[in-house]
Amino acid sequence: MAPPHALYPAPKVTLRWINPGETGGLAADGSYDNNQGQLGVLNAAGAVTATGHPFFAPLGSNGRACISCHQPQDAMSLSLNSIRRQWQVTQGQDPIFAAVDGANCPHLPQQDPASHSLLLDRGLFRVFLPWPPRDAAGKAVEPEFSIEVVRDPTGCNLHPQHGLHSAQPMVSVYRRPRPAANLKYPTHQNFGVSSFIGKNGLPTARDPDTGKPTSMNLMADARAPSLRAQAADAAATHLQRLVPLSKAQLDAIVAFEGQVYVAQQIDRQAGSLIEPNGPSAFGPRALLKGEAGVLGNNTSRWVFPMEGKWTALSRGNGAAQDARNAARESIARGHDVFMFRTFWIRDSMHLNSVGLGNPTKRTCATCHGMHMTGMDTANGWMDIGSTNLPWAREAPLNPWTTQKPELPLFKLTCRNDIAPHPFLGRVIYTQDPGRALISGRCNDIGTIVMQQLRALSARAPYFSNGSAHSLRDVVDFYDRRYNIGYSEQEKQDLANFLGAL
Amino acid sequence: MKSLQRGITLLLAGVSGAAVAAMPDGAQRNFVACPIVRDTASVPCWLAEYEGELYFLTLQTDVSAPVNPPMLGHKVLVEGRRTDKPRICGGIVLEPVRLSVLPTLDANCNQLLPAEAQYNLTFEPPRPPGPSKGRLAFNTLDVQQAEVAPQRVEKRFTIGYDFEARVGFKHPALLQPVLDYALAIKATRIDIEGHRGAALLSDGTILNESPELARRRAQQVAELLQGAGLTAPRYTVRWIDAAPAPSGSDDSPQRRVDITVTP
Repeated sequence: MAPPHALYPAPKVTLRWINPGETGGLAADGSYDNNQGQLGVLNAAGAVTATGHPFFAPLGSNGRACISCHQPQDAMSLSLNSIRRQWQVTQGQDPIFAAVDGANCPHLPQQDPASHSLLLDRGLFRVFLPWPPRDAAGKAVEPEFSIEVVRDPTGCNLHPQHGLHSAQPMVSVYRRPRPAANLKYPTHQNFGVSSFIGKNGLPTARDPDTGKPTSMNLMADARAPSLRAQAADAAATHLQRLVPLSKAQLDAIVAFEGQVYVAQQIDRQAGSLIEPNGPSAFGPRALLKGEAGVLGNNTSRWVFPMEGKWTALSRGNGAAQDARNAARESIARGHDVFMFRTFWIRDSMHLNSVGLGNPTKRTCATCHGMHMTGMDTANGWMDIGSTNLPWAREAPLNPWTTQKPELPLFKLTCRNDIAPHPFLGRVIYTQDPGRALISGRCNDIGTIVMQQLRALSARAPYFSNGSAHSLRDVVDFYDRRYNIGYSEQEKQDLANFLGAL
Repeated sequence: MKSLQRGITLLLAGVSGAAVAAMPDGAQRNFVACPIVRDTASVPCWLAEYEGELYFLTLQTDVSAPVNPPMLGHKVLVEGRRTDKPRICGGIVLEPVRLSVLPTLDANCNQLLPAEAQYNLTFEPPRPPGPSKGRLAFNTLDVQQAEVAPQRVEKRFTIGYDFEARVGFKHPALLQPVLDYALAIKATRIDIEGHRGAALLSDGTILNESPELARRRAQQVAELLQGAGLTAPRYTVRWIDAAPAPSGSDDSPQRRVDITVTP
């Protein structure tokens, strides 16, 4: 059997991995090469000393630190390239491969790369959540649906100790780590944040420290209402820390996360993205300057402001500059595809169900509307079909292929005493129930909080389940899901634009 | 949740629902149909057919619209008044109109028509299909700001619903003023009364909302207010099981929850 990384190209650039407990630190203005050019990492509060800093220190029992899965070179997330390199360099001993969630299931032989195939193939960590769901006080929530395990390729969901029918029932799903950067946007207190969730009218999760309603845009399932809550949860689960973090440790982690900004700053074809007089959308300083939590799906503020630049650039200044200008024009066209190219958005829960009609003729920027990040300003979980069947990427089953399903498959049946899911009915098959594993609601099955669209070139693969290996895969998914009919030029331009963010 | 239930008294008020339904008046059009989407050079129109006539329901705008488009894949209950306004997208304009997406999935409702020049809009829609010019098309979703120092008086709020519906995306704008007022006056008591309705269709059929809906609406509103932090007052939750006889002319206000906030 070929090693999983044989499917993908080896990294072409030198990586700068930071180990937990490493001394040194981060510069105020850091730059990290990637296959698409260069990422900028801005520490707005100045250079960061890693020594003794709780974000960088191995605070748990498995040798991990926050930095393990939030590497600057990977836009404070973790790319597949980095994961594979760490497997090779450490022969699988890096703490990111810890059995608790860096393996497909803890019971598997940890020295075997096949036991970590979801991490090595798709960059996915195991997220294990209690069943039935628990509310903020830890009390069981009565779910609106039952759940069955249809397929269990990792062996975890039916495992007698770790699975759904164990003494402490758990559902294991597999997700990508999100960037711990640009966080003033997903934690904003601006448009769309109120006491009731804008998409379904239910009470908004409140910050346990401030008592204020939150934007519920942190994490794939919005289970952590604040950065402090997320850090505390991550310490207990991912780091396997046995005692709570201290207030000082939490303060330091949250302060660090709140001041670090990431974005691509050089595109290998378009050159510098942050030249003076260039579009103001690009580079980490744009994110520092941007206003958090405001709608950009308009022509007065824009999601990613380009100011009409990089259109109709000159030619005849030499091949290199002509190629650069052509690449810049492609990025500008991709922006226009993102903002203005309409298509029919259909059967997407928490988009077509919130007053726009089903279908609605809109653009990418309709959902990806938050200024500077392309997130949702309101509570942003939505079902675009990345995890729910029939749209989720599945291995073709036929007598002529050896390709096997990698992800679990669940069958969720909504109760008869509630309204059926408006698009999927009462029986829903999904690779990851998403927000529904927290809320227990039928309408939340397969809904995932949308991510910021920044620094994408540094942190492939994409979607919460790593099902898109490249930005072109992302574009192709949408083209297939919504029958958009993008031209080849539109696909290339959109992927180039996304890669420049 | 135990904390949510604390202080809630459940009362059942049985009210007989003897109903002798009159037919809706001549301009009223109440019917259930599959919605139809008609694309245009700008935003799509939403239409429906009834007794050989095509009716214009609404345009695609944004979430702030007073009338939101229905859904393909579901039938829609249309409750509207026929007007003599110029047709839009070929349809007779209903105004006012209330649209309720019925919960049952219906794969037969799947008609998406292409744009035809004769059906293009003759006016600029409230917002284009892509980015707006920086505002919502309407501002009906603006949450009313609570008075700075409201008088501590008993105040009643009404939460309306689409047919067969519970709380959804429109309700934060209705619930927030209740929450704000109750917190501002340090309410000691919240009385909640749930109702369900019926709709008299133009063909004389009566559609009744589900029997349990009045209770579910009332209990959900109590849970939502408590879940949003309004835990201090004592709650009384009651509901009227019987749906009143529908008139066919103004049935939608029966689908409601009344909330009385007492200092």
